[in-house]
Amino acid sequence: MQLIVNITVLAAIYALLACGYVLIYRVSRVMNMAHGELAMLGAYLLYTTASLFVGHPIVAIAMAVVLSLTVGVLVYVVLMRRMTGEMVLAAILTTIAIGVLIRGFVVLIWSGAQQHPLQTLNFSNPSIALVGGARISTCAALLVLMTVVVYGALFAFLRFGSWGIRMRAAGQSPLLAAQRGINLNAIYALAWGLSTLTGSIAGMLIALDSGLDQTMVVIGLKAFAPALVGGLDSLVGALVGSLIVAGAEVLAIHYIDPLLSDVVPFLVLLAMLIVRPWGLFGTREELDRV
Amino acid sequence: MLRLLTGALTGALAAVALACPTVAQDAYVVGVSGALTGPAAGTNAPPVEGLRLYVDRLNARGGVNGKKIQLIVLDDQAEPSKAAANAKRLLTQDNVRLLILSSLSSTYAPVIAETKRANVPLMLMGAVCPKEVYPPAEALQFCTTAYAGGYDSRAALAFIKETAKEPVRIGFAAMAIPLSRGEIDYAEGQAKTAGLTPVDKEVIPPPTADYTPFATKLKDADPNWIFSWAPWVTEVKTFEALRRLGWEGDYVAWAHIEAEAELARLKDGKFYVIGANSLFQDNLPIHREIVDEAKKSNVRYPAEQLTEGWIGGLVLEAVLTRAGWPTDADKIRAAMENVKVDTQGLRGGPIEWSKDNHFRTRQYYRVYRWDPAKSAIVQAKDWVPYDVK
Repeated sequence: MQLIVNITVLAAIYALLACGYVLIYRVSRVMNMAHGELAMLGAYLLYTTASLFVGHPIVAIAMAVVLSLTVGVLVYVVLMRRMTGEMVLAAILTTIAIGVLIRGFVVLIWSGAQQHPLQTLNFSNPSIALVGGARISTCAALLVLMTVVVYGALFAFLRFGSWGIRMRAAGQSPLLAAQRGINLNAIYALAWGLSTLTGSIAGMLIALDSGLDQTMVVIGLKAFAPALVGGLDSLVGALVGSLIVAGAEVLAIHYIDPLLSDVVPFLVLLAMLIVRPWGLFGTREELDRV
Repeated sequence: MLRLLTGALTGALAAVALACPTVAQDAYVVGVSGALTGPAAGTNAPPVEGLRLYVDRLNARGGVNGKKIQLIVLDDQAEPSKAAANAKRLLTQDNVRLLILSSLSSTYAPVIAETKRANVPLMLMGAVCPKEVYPPAEALQFCTTAYAGGYDSRAALAFIKETAKEPVRIGFAAMAIPLSRGEIDYAEGQAKTAGLTPVDKEVIPPPTADYTPFATKLKDADPNWIFSWAPWVTEVKTFEALRRLGWEGDYVAWAHIEAEAELARLKDGKFYVIGANSLFQDNLPIHREIVDEAKKSNVRYPAEQLTEGWIGGLVLEAVLTRAGWPTDADKIRAAMENVKVDTQGLRGGPIEWSKDNHFRTRQYYRVYRWDPAKSAIVQAKDWVPYDVK
């Protein structure tokens, strides 16, 4: 039973991070290589607001969420907007540069020391006993719950929301969407905002569960594998890909060798690229354009 | 026209020369490569900050032999390729006569290769001491860092054997980097010799999203003690994951620079840290001195994390004093081979280097833990010396 819980928690981490990759790729065909850094920045923002609003955890969390959304929008407005019309590769390289910048700023502002937002918020993280003798920490349970909520909200938003429908339209054909009066800049800014927000939520919950340091960047990068396995333009794919990669990783740790945990996500990815390069739920034509 | 062109060119060259960072001709130039950013920064950046703090204070007091020390600090993000590039630049461009490294063990090989090529001594500070500094030591490698392969495990296992009230079933946790893995393999072998029963060993990759799967495997092996010798992030996150799974055994971790604050955060009476540095809760005069200096300089890391860098500074001062002025790499190496530095209570004894021993002649260990009854950090075991042979 503990194995199932472990797989679920790791899958939730990957899924929450992977949906950020999907949101941006889906509307703009850009692979955001700074997603891990943005997730880490969101967690550091929570740490900062928790330090500023001592005794008001709800205010601190709300502020961190708003700031994360704002950061995402600003990244688009200030930097990525200028990449419109340029080669996709140029946009990807820009995201790499953004990542390097964020890593530098994080050390300058918060230092490289490990931080503990949970302590700053004055929260505790007790274990919850589950059936079959399994246990899960409160923060990990919250992470799983938040993944369900985020994916539910994103599906509803893209299916029924007017901005969500516009976002899908912009992703399918930017030219036609623009001709129909859809403000592409607003759509892209929203996609960057939502992507950074979901990544930041993942970052905040990981930081609450096990502390905050710069290793989160690498975790963000590892979540790229589930996004690709599922298909870069599919939210369902990100969810399924996360479950597959997390399952393979946890089972490899338990039954083969813990050292494989680093390699397994990319082995699964490699296998998927050989068998079905566009991913489980990705569309073939989308990938051809890359 | 030609004169005008020549003048403009000279002016431009002068401007370029002024814009480039200059290396002082009238100072001891020391190169430092450290993991100032990146995943290992939490452990490896504070020693560099501590060294800078010490050197700034030393320079303000007139320097060494009447000359200032100029530190050229570069970030290698714990990446071997960047560390190699830093070493090459510091040795060939900046012509440093001593190189200091504070980074992960994976950066050692390329940096050592560069220092050998340039015949310049390398001082490892805040980065784990490799076996090459033990007798008979490699000519160019020296180490001031508290932790060291082999001796640390022996001390930790001896403490466990002495403290355990029942037969010990021991688990091990390492990070998937060369020295951590090597040390835990060594500890596993030593445990068998010491009559402890090894039940599991987890080697955990550095970027891990969730430590619970590794902790689950450890817990399933049912150890009553676990020893971890790895960067702090692996040591503490594995422990916390074990506790969340309901494991109630005793855990011994190497006391990295984060240990003091973390003992107070975890408040767990069965979490021990073993190390060669005294903690600031001992409140020695040298601790107060570091705290005061840190306050004045507004450093980014807590004062209790600056010990390694401060000790590095003490050793650097002693070496340069002995090397005299003017100096070169050979004189510095000769000085390093004959130095004894009083650590003023930061360690259990002095750092003493000779031609054959670039580590120390005697390594001291002390164990701390959180005492729930006193609600304070206490010594679980006072200094125990180990002769380095």
